[in-house]
Amino acid sequence: MSFRSSLAEVAGKSSYWILHNFFHGGSSFPGKITTQIDPKVLKHLGANYRVIIVTGTNGKTLTTAITTQVLKKKFNQILTNPSGSNMEQGIVTTFLEAKKPKTQKPVAVLEVDEANVVKVTKYIKPIAFVLTNIFRDQMDRYGEIYTTYKKIINGIKLAPKATIIANGDASIFNSVKLPNPKIYYGFKNHDESQDMKAKPNTDGVICPNCHNILHYHYISYSNLGDYFCPHCGYHRPELNYHLDQIDHLTPTSSTFEIDGHQLTIDIGGVYNIYNALAAYTVGRFMGVEPEAIQQAFQSNEHVFGRQEEINVNGKKVTIILVKNPVGLNQVIDMISTDKEPFSFIGLLNANYADGIDTSWIWDGDFERLPHMNIKKYITGGERYRDITFRLKVAGVNENIHTVQPDLEKVVDGIPSLPTKRVYILATYTAMLQVRKHLAEKGYIKGGF
Amino acid sequence: MSAKYSLRIAHLYGDLMNTYGDLGNVLVLKYYGKQMGVDVSSNVVSLDNDFKASDYDMAVFGGGQDFEQTIVSKDIQTKKEEINKFIHEGKPMVAICGGYQLIGKYYIGAKGEKIQGTGALDHYTGQQENHRFIGNIEIKNSENGEVYHGFENHQGITFLSKNEKPLGEVIKGHGNNGEDGTEGAIYKNTYCTYFHGPILARNGQIAKHMLISALKQKYPGQDFSQQASLKIPATF
Repeated sequence: MSFRSSLAEVAGKSSYWILHNFFHGGSSFPGKITTQIDPKVLKHLGANYRVIIVTGTNGKTLTTAITTQVLKKKFNQILTNPSGSNMEQGIVTTFLEAKKPKTQKPVAVLEVDEANVVKVTKYIKPIAFVLTNIFRDQMDRYGEIYTTYKKIINGIKLAPKATIIANGDASIFNSVKLPNPKIYYGFKNHDESQDMKAKPNTDGVICPNCHNILHYHYISYSNLGDYFCPHCGYHRPELNYHLDQIDHLTPTSSTFEIDGHQLTIDIGGVYNIYNALAAYTVGRFMGVEPEAIQQAFQSNEHVFGRQEEINVNGKKVTIILVKNPVGLNQVIDMISTDKEPFSFIGLLNANYADGIDTSWIWDGDFERLPHMNIKKYITGGERYRDITFRLKVAGVNENIHTVQPDLEKVVDGIPSLPTKRVYILATYTAMLQVRKHLAEKGYIKGGF
Repeated sequence: MSAKYSLRIAHLYGDLMNTYGDLGNVLVLKYYGKQMGVDVSSNVVSLDNDFKASDYDMAVFGGGQDFEQTIVSKDIQTKKEEINKFIHEGKPMVAICGGYQLIGKYYIGAKGEKIQGTGALDHYTGQQENHRFIGNIEIKNSENGEVYHGFENHQGITFLSKNEKPLGEVIKGHGNNGEDGTEGAIYKNTYCTYFHGPILARNGQIAKHMLISALKQKYPGQDFSQQASLKIPATF
C-alpha cells in the first residue's frame, strides 16, 4: 500500500465519519475527497474483494439487492452499494464505509452506472459482470444504446477473465465477440414455432451480422425474447439458466419456475422476473443451492423498497418511479394485472434527473389505460401539459380526468379519490416532491 | 359508424427511425383526424416493403440512431423515386431529424463518410465535433406568423439551399446549424424539422395543416371548412 493510498483512505474515512455522525449522511463526498488525493485508491480498497459488477439500463438496483440476498445464504458478509451511489465516487465511499472483512476473500456486489464500469475495472478486476439490458434511456445524457454498450464493453475489456452473466434475451449482448467466459439467462416459457417482429417503435432490433430486422419466436417485452434472423441464421445463444413458466402475476407478487424450482418474489412486473432470474444465475455461479435461493427470495427484507405501499387515510398508494419508455411500459403492464379498480396519477417533471426531454412519454403505451379498471385520472407536475395531452391522445375519458399541476394539491386530493387503490407514476424529481409532501403530512414516517 | 373520410399514413422506416417519441406524430394525426371525422390509419414501410406514393395520403419520417440511419440510407435508395414523387406532388409529410437529413442531398455520417439522401430537397447536413444542440427551442414562421415549440437534440448541422424556406426563424435555441437563425425547412406540404416533443403534439396547427391538405388532395372539390374550423388547444 502506498503512502498516498493510506492517506487517501484516512481522509475519506474520517470525512465519512464526520458526515455520518454529524450530518447523518455519507453520500459520495468521502469518495470525492479520497479520489482527489489518490485517483488509484480503488485498487487498494478493492484489492481483496471478489467483486461482481451489475450494470445495464433498467433493473440494476433490484438485481443487486436480490443478488445480495441470495449470496448471503452462503457468504457471511456481502459488501454492496446503496442505490444512487453507482458512480465511481459512490463506489469508493462504499468501500470506505465497509466494516473490516472477517473473511479473506469477501464478496462485493456493486451496482455500477454504465459509463462508470470502465472507471471501476481500471483498478478492480471483478470475477463477474451481470448485464441486465440496454434500452433507450434519457438520451440527452448518454446517447444511443450502441454507445452505452460500447461504454460497458470498454470496462469489460479491462477484465477479460471475468465471467459475463448476461441477459440472453437481449440481442445486443450477443452482438460483439468478447473473450470472456459467458453465462446466459433468459425466458423459455414459450412455443418456439412462432415467428413475429417487435412493435414498430422498439429499438435495437437489427441483426448485428446482416443488418436485417430481427424476428422472434417469443417476446417477453420490448426487444427482449427468443430472437433470430431469418436472413443469416443469427439467433439467441443457448441459455444456461432459464425461466420455464410464469405461474401467477399480480402487481405485488410473481410466482414462476426456474429449472424446475418454483419461486416467488414480493414484487410484480415481468421485468422483475428478469432481475430475479439474474440473481438466481449469479447465485448458482457462486455455488448457492437452488433451495437456498428459494428461501432468499422469500425473505422479506425490504428489498423491493421502490414499490412500498403508503397508507393515505385508508387509500393504498403505490408510488412508482418511471424514467424511460421501456420501464414505463413495464409499469403499465404491471398495474394492468390489478384485479381491483384503481386511480391513476401521472406526474411529469423535466429537470436534469428526470431527463429534460419529455418526448419519451409518447413511446409509452398509455393507450392501454382506457381498457383497465381505472376510475379516476390525475395528471400533474411541472410538465403537466405534456402528460395531460398524452393521456387525451391515448383516449382517456375527460370526465374522469383532472389536471392538477401542484403536487401538494395532488397529495391533498388522494383521500377523496373514488378507489382504495392508487398508483402514482412519477419521474424522479416529481417522486421526491410527492414523497416530501406525504412525509410533511405524516403519511410517510421517518421523513422521505 | 364508419367515418366518411379516411387517410392513410406511411410511417417511413417506423421500426428503425423511431427515437425520441417520434411515433407520437402518428398518434396525434390520428387524434385530430378523429375529431375531424376522419379515419386515419398508419402502416410501417421499412426494409422488407415496397413503397408506392399513390398508396398513401400522408407520411411521417422520424429520426433514428446512427447505426439504424446508415442502414436506412442504403435501403432508401430503392424507394427514392416514389418518396421524391410523394414530396413533389405536395402530399403532406413531416420529416424529423434523420428523416429530414435523408430527404436532402447528403449527410455526413458519424465516421465522416458522405451518405446520399433521396435529393428531394437540396439541403445538406454536416456534423459538429463532439457537440450536440440539446434543449427546448422556439421558432416563428414569418409567413403565417405561427410560433412553434419543440425539443432539439442533434449533432447534425443542416444548411438550406437558396430555394428552400425554413420552417421558422429561431427565437430561442439553435435550429438547423446554430449560425443562420433558421430551423427546419418547408417545401410544398413537407415539413422538415429537428423538433422532437413530438413536433405535432406540441404544435397541433401543423398536424391540422397536414390533415386539411391531405383531405383536399384526396377528396377534391369537397368542402372542408368544418374540419378547418377545428380549434387546436395549447398543449405545451
